[in-house]
Amino acid sequence: MTAARRSASTLLALTAASCSSSFGMPRGSTEQGRDIFDLWQIFFWAGIAVAALVYGLIGWSLVRYRRRRRDADDAQGLPFHANVPLEIVYTAIPVVIVIALFALSFGTEDRASSVSPTPDVTLRAEAFSWGWRFSYPGDGVEVVSEPSGEGVPGPEIVLPLGETTRIELTSNDVIHAFWVPDFLYKRDAIPGRVNVFDVTPTDLGEFHGVCSEFCGLHHAYMTFTVRVVSPNEFEAWLASERSTP
Amino acid sequence: MSTGTRTPVVAADRPRAGPVAWLTTTDHKKIGVLYCVTAFAYFLIGGALAGAMRAELADTGNQLVGPQSYNTLFTVHGIIMIFLFVAPFGVGLANYLVPLQIGAPDMAFPRLNAMSYWFFAGGGVLVLLSSFATDAGGVATGWYLYPPLSGPRYSPGVGPDLLILGLALVAISTLMSGVNVITTTFLMRAPGMTMWRLPIFTWNVVVTAILGLVAFPPAVAAFVLLLFDRRLGGHAFDPLGGGDPIVYQHLFWFLGHPEVYILILPFFGVITEIIPVFSRKRLFGYTGFVLATLAIGALSTGVWAHHMFTTGVVDNPFFSAMTFTIAVPTGVKFFNWIGTMWGGKITFRVPMLFAVGFLLNFLIGGVTGVMLASAPLDFQLSDSYFLVSHFHYTMMGGSVFGIFAAIYFWWPKAFGYRLSERLGRGVFALMFVGFNMTFWPQFVVGLRGMPRRIVDYAPGLGWETPNLVSSLGVVVLSAGVLVFLLDALTSRRRRTPAGDDPWGGSSLEWATSSPPPEHNFTSLPRIRSDRPAYDLHHRAEAGEAGRPRSEETA
Repeated sequence: MTAARRSASTLLALTAASCSSSFGMPRGSTEQGRDIFDLWQIFFWAGIAVAALVYGLIGWSLVRYRRRRRDADDAQGLPFHANVPLEIVYTAIPVVIVIALFALSFGTEDRASSVSPTPDVTLRAEAFSWGWRFSYPGDGVEVVSEPSGEGVPGPEIVLPLGETTRIELTSNDVIHAFWVPDFLYKRDAIPGRVNVFDVTPTDLGEFHGVCSEFCGLHHAYMTFTVRVVSPNEFEAWLASERSTP
Repeated sequence: MSTGTRTPVVAADRPRAGPVAWLTTTDHKKIGVLYCVTAFAYFLIGGALAGAMRAELADTGNQLVGPQSYNTLFTVHGIIMIFLFVAPFGVGLANYLVPLQIGAPDMAFPRLNAMSYWFFAGGGVLVLLSSFATDAGGVATGWYLYPPLSGPRYSPGVGPDLLILGLALVAISTLMSGVNVITTTFLMRAPGMTMWRLPIFTWNVVVTAILGLVAFPPAVAAFVLLLFDRRLGGHAFDPLGGGDPIVYQHLFWFLGHPEVYILILPFFGVITEIIPVFSRKRLFGYTGFVLATLAIGALSTGVWAHHMFTTGVVDNPFFSAMTFTIAVPTGVKFFNWIGTMWGGKITFRVPMLFAVGFLLNFLIGGVTGVMLASAPLDFQLSDSYFLVSHFHYTMMGGSVFGIFAAIYFWWPKAFGYRLSERLGRGVFALMFVGFNMTFWPQFVVGLRGMPRRIVDYAPGLGWETPNLVSSLGVVVLSAGVLVFLLDALTSRRRRTPAGDDPWGGSSLEWATSSPPPEHNFTSLPRIRSDRPAYDLHHRAEAGEAGRPRSEETA
């Protein structure tokens, strides 16, 4: 009895958790990421509405219009096979929905990809097979991966909370990608090109980072960690890194 | 078939039997069956590779295959499923059905047809060789062969070369069968079979064939340039030599995105044949459906760079807008299918079960596709397991369910005897449950940040449980496929006779015998609507229209 009640309350808690509607995605620990998260919620609600409508219609048709035992063997359905006004309506509604979703996406993309002319920190990220060379060129600090493989921890980079860090991303061999799932953002690291984007962290903590473009043998182990600290701690970290060669 | 006393128009071939007849055939029905059987064999191989991957990912750590083998597994799995299974199975169905549905005796170019089959079969063998039969390890670049990783410096083995040659053969085969399907449909329709009476399956494979002609040549160009880079010192895609790897991505995805519609349109066609038959109704909105297919074909050539949002080189919102737009004609089709079932007398035979499974699965693939069309959401979801799950909901939950629907629907026509209805329901239940159990958890783990194409993952990120459930799902799914194989292999012995029209079909293939004679029809019914076989079998209702024109001479 209590077990049943407990599992019922767990179920309720799960439902409540999904009603607070992160829909499984991290909530975004940067300003850019939060913007993308808001868009995700809109898309998810729209998706649920569309799926509920279509599943509802399919389910209704299958149940209501199933062949009954009393029907004759060659009983035919209703002669309902064209209705131009209805067809125009069911074409127009998806058009309106996708125009709205496109407009929202366009706005978010502009904001999430906009690059500040005056970043507080610049981080250069160079991907290689299979690791990362991170440097803070203004501060003379560099963090480089150990040769990677199973069980080798990735390098750690530190970012200041609430300040805008410009990331200049490139690769020196094949195509890699820089992805921090909690930031809701990834970019490809392409040899011969530099991709530039900003992150402005809004949450303290450690975040898992991965290479998300397949790059060969040890792709799975090309991980890194991002630690977000207060600006004071960030300065202290830079100083300590500078003093240890 | 004996030609009797008829004077042969061309020198009669010596009648052959057994394997030789199959190996030398130019009969569209035999070639169609060869295509489907070969493609299904590749499906079993590709599925076994997927099973090995899921076994590796069931738990953290590196337990079954090393990273090198794993990377080969997912590369070859992708290539096989896309180029050697789903697309050729569609070609096989087109081969078998198009002449029957339009009332033609064969394809327009029977020998070209045979050649396209053998190019496909041979290309497939090269692909298999490229994977596991090379001494320096198989091709391990991901199915899209991105340079520089696929270049000479990072993939020096012979695997990618064999793969490129194999894919080139498959591409040429696609071009040949495309030309054949288009010519046959445009020039060999029976009297009365106007384009606006064409069965939807044929409409859809014609658009598929046109897409193949548009999309494959640039990809072959990209493959050839890549081969130059690899073996002849070229630098087309090598940034160190002044080349640009992004150019490859444009060329490749100009194939790659129409390709996903090449993979789905034939099976949209399949379920559009099946749903009206089992709803005892005409298709709702035939004209709108055809226009939607044409719209999908046209739009699909303008969406390719949505595969490249994260490269940072396509900030242009054109591709995002086009990708959103293509959701509209796809949505229209859903309303066509619902409108067809609405007011029907629906029976749930096995082909209909798979068609309904298609609808339920593909809707999820479609909704998540709209999410991925949004560039900022793509920044998060691209190259994650969310994406992997999305395209499996369209290609497996959609196309593969469509393939099984087609097998159960046309098997009695092709062989003259039935598959088991009882076992078929079991196959459907196992596959539907197994499929969703395998791929739904991949949405969850993708949202939690798991990237695709990794052999191993760290504990403590919330990835273990969904991965385990997903791997167990493969067991259920495979059980379904095994029961199907058992049924298919033993059905021959049971020989439950099918009759010429076991389902109450509407299109012309149900107006001939099962299996059809060598040149398909001994007499053609008069074609007065888009449902000639229905008219034939319901003469009272159709009046004169249903009377076979050559009844007296047959």
